[in-house]
Amino acid sequence: MDSDLSSRPPPRPTARRRVGRPSTIESGAASLATILTLVRSGVATTRLDIEREAELGRAVVADRLTTLERLGLIVEGELGPAIGGRAPRNMRFRVEAGAILAAHVDRESLAVGLADLDGVLIVEHHEAVDLALGPETILDRLTTLFLWLLDERGGKGRVWAIGVALPEVALFDANESDAFDIAALDVLKAWRSFDFSTELSLRFGAPSWVRSNTEMMTRGEMKAGAGLGVQDLLCVRLDRSVSAGVVSDGRLRSGAQGLAGLIGHAPTSEGGDVICHCGAKGCLDSIASGEAVAREALAAARDGRSRYLAEILERSSAVTANDVSHGAQLGDAFCAELLARSGRLVGESLAPLVNLMNPGTVVLAGALAHSGDIVLAAVREAIYRRSHPLVTRDLRIVRSELGGSAELVGAAGLAVEEIFAVPRLREWITIGAPRRQPSFEAFLAEGRARKRTSASPSARPPARA
Amino acid sequence: MQAVGLGPRGEKAFPADKLVLTAAEAAQARAGRFAVAIVLHTTTSDWSRQELAGIVATLGHHGATVTEIIDCGFDKAKQNHELLRLATAPIHAVISLPIGSAGVLEGHRAITRAGKTLVLLDNAPSGLRPGVDYLAVSSADNFGLGAIAAELASPYVTNEGVAGILNYEAEFFVTNEREIAFRKWMSAERPDVTLVRGRFAKVEDAGEAYRRLLADNDDLDCLFVAWDVPALKVLCAIREGAQTLPIVTVDLGNEIAAELRSGGPLKGIAAQRPYDQGAAAAGAALLGLIGRQPPAWISSTGLKVTRESLRESYEAVWHAPAPPFELRL
Repeated sequence: MDSDLSSRPPPRPTARRRVGRPSTIESGAASLATILTLVRSGVATTRLDIEREAELGRAVVADRLTTLERLGLIVEGELGPAIGGRAPRNMRFRVEAGAILAAHVDRESLAVGLADLDGVLIVEHHEAVDLALGPETILDRLTTLFLWLLDERGGKGRVWAIGVALPEVALFDANESDAFDIAALDVLKAWRSFDFSTELSLRFGAPSWVRSNTEMMTRGEMKAGAGLGVQDLLCVRLDRSVSAGVVSDGRLRSGAQGLAGLIGHAPTSEGGDVICHCGAKGCLDSIASGEAVAREALAAARDGRSRYLAEILERSSAVTANDVSHGAQLGDAFCAELLARSGRLVGESLAPLVNLMNPGTVVLAGALAHSGDIVLAAVREAIYRRSHPLVTRDLRIVRSELGGSAELVGAAGLAVEEIFAVPRLREWITIGAPRRQPSFEAFLAEGRARKRTSASPSARPPARA
Repeated sequence: MQAVGLGPRGEKAFPADKLVLTAAEAAQARAGRFAVAIVLHTTTSDWSRQELAGIVATLGHHGATVTEIIDCGFDKAKQNHELLRLATAPIHAVISLPIGSAGVLEGHRAITRAGKTLVLLDNAPSGLRPGVDYLAVSSADNFGLGAIAAELASPYVTNEGVAGILNYEAEFFVTNEREIAFRKWMSAERPDVTLVRGRFAKVEDAGEAYRRLLADNDDLDCLFVAWDVPALKVLCAIREGAQTLPIVTVDLGNEIAAELRSGGPLKGIAAQRPYDQGAAAAGAALLGLIGRQPPAWISSTGLKVTRESLRESYEAVWHAPAPPFELRL
């Protein structure tokens, strides 16, 4: 469907070549990338500042700025403050030159967003979905929603990059298959073997990056939420399972196998008999996660420990962690106690990490974290009680500021970071957009050819006689 | 009945009718003698009047005062200006309906930065953070309303026929949700149906947008109009044209209710409960003012209204007896 992209030649330079001086299109990728990065980041936006920061001459800077303007990447903006002469004109990066698509898929919901080239979300939509529907069905739904977002916003041609957050369970074998029964194991296998990123790139003709929900949530909070400007951060996701993003010295740490932050498997003080899917007893996930809270709530609804939950069960034949949050907000003592216990156990598991890392901020995100003040208060109390006083002296323990948008913000931010990373930027800057980068077009052509081959009847192995 | 749609940040809905203050909270709120301002996109629709009635009645019941009600006339600049003014006014809280997704962030942020409580109606524009830039949103289950509208339209669309969607051009969370849900329901239940869309930038232009859509798609079987006020413009345009067309819409205002009763082109309405939504918004504001954390997304489920169910639906939505037009049924 995007065959036009792979066959489209890069635009030819139109500027007449001057004697003794190579054209910018041929040799200026490095300086163009440097100048665009300076303008984008706001480090230097006037000609004088750019000359100084880039260590380039006036003529070269003028030439490169003209090229960047012609490519549609920058535009002259407002006048800056005068310093003894005419007021300089600020250059502005055109965040509206393209669009970033972001998606977030979770066990029971998905979200899509459209962002500008700074990764700032312009519009977002969330809806319920079941991960067990499998990757192709979910991808089709995301495609429908993306196309809807792009309709009247320039269409697919405006998409520069795509970022996607997927649940850990869909990415890693090593993590949490607890919520899936045996019949759904095939679905899990399908998720783990499905190349979501390539499929999206083929559908939209733009590069895409897929990471775990926890990573994208952490990136989102770092970019625009409670983790903004924090160098050492723990971003804890309290959802159906418990996991964390670990940021140290301003860098997200993913670990040797990309599995850093599996705190759901930390042992708790209340071991209990519940066996975690990892095989151990007493893991945080099996006692304090949203899944565990829902299980305990169902038991309480059945044996009458909570009148509120019993009513919910009677009305809807199911009880969720969300119902427990509502029950606590409506004053149900059992629900409040259940959330407090969950928060306390999470806090106790986080305390050793707080001692180890000495973070400046702990951000609590996910549905349980947003269930009112009870969980937050219990986590705070347990961390303060179990950690060394010196590491908690200036520690902030706060709720996520972005809520369910964090993963979208993180996904859009990652996509922006990747396309403007200097090595990649140098590859596409003379063409004007990353989707027309030759190596990416070759990747798309190869992907399409592979799909055609696998779909062709002649590609099937011959039937045995 | 549970809301099927999620909130603007993916939150699961807290039912609007469950948001009530306990006796202790009510006493605390009354002692606070709070002053609240209300900022709406318009005050001229029946929806707005009902929403206002719910807010004012609830605030009044708890001893709070409504200092002013501002009609922004769908003008983002005016909304920003008024909110910036209210940020320095001697009030405790603002209940506001943001116009569009961008362009009104500054004004809304100013309210919270000034230390006042902000509760939103209908939607939270991207960029506003729950718990930081605002306290809570009270809304209808707009995703559910879109699905109800599709269900109402379906019988009027022939096999492999064409259904139209006439929606607002602005980045409006609620109308976006309705359209997405309408499309999703049709795609799942009536995959044979082709969907086409028209847009209007101003409510007054809805009739013209309908004529353009019809000119481009003379095989239209049925039309979904995003809410009742533009639907009334479309009904006028239908009467002026040569061709009639079944339509469905959202919101049970007085005029649209009379249209439904008359048995004309309007075939069904997915009704919000604006009075309940207003009451919940006021309740959330009061909880915030006494230091409690209300749910971030409070939502009321929609009602499927046909000519036959008009009387009971009207009474459920308006909290008042149906007017004489209905009694003639």
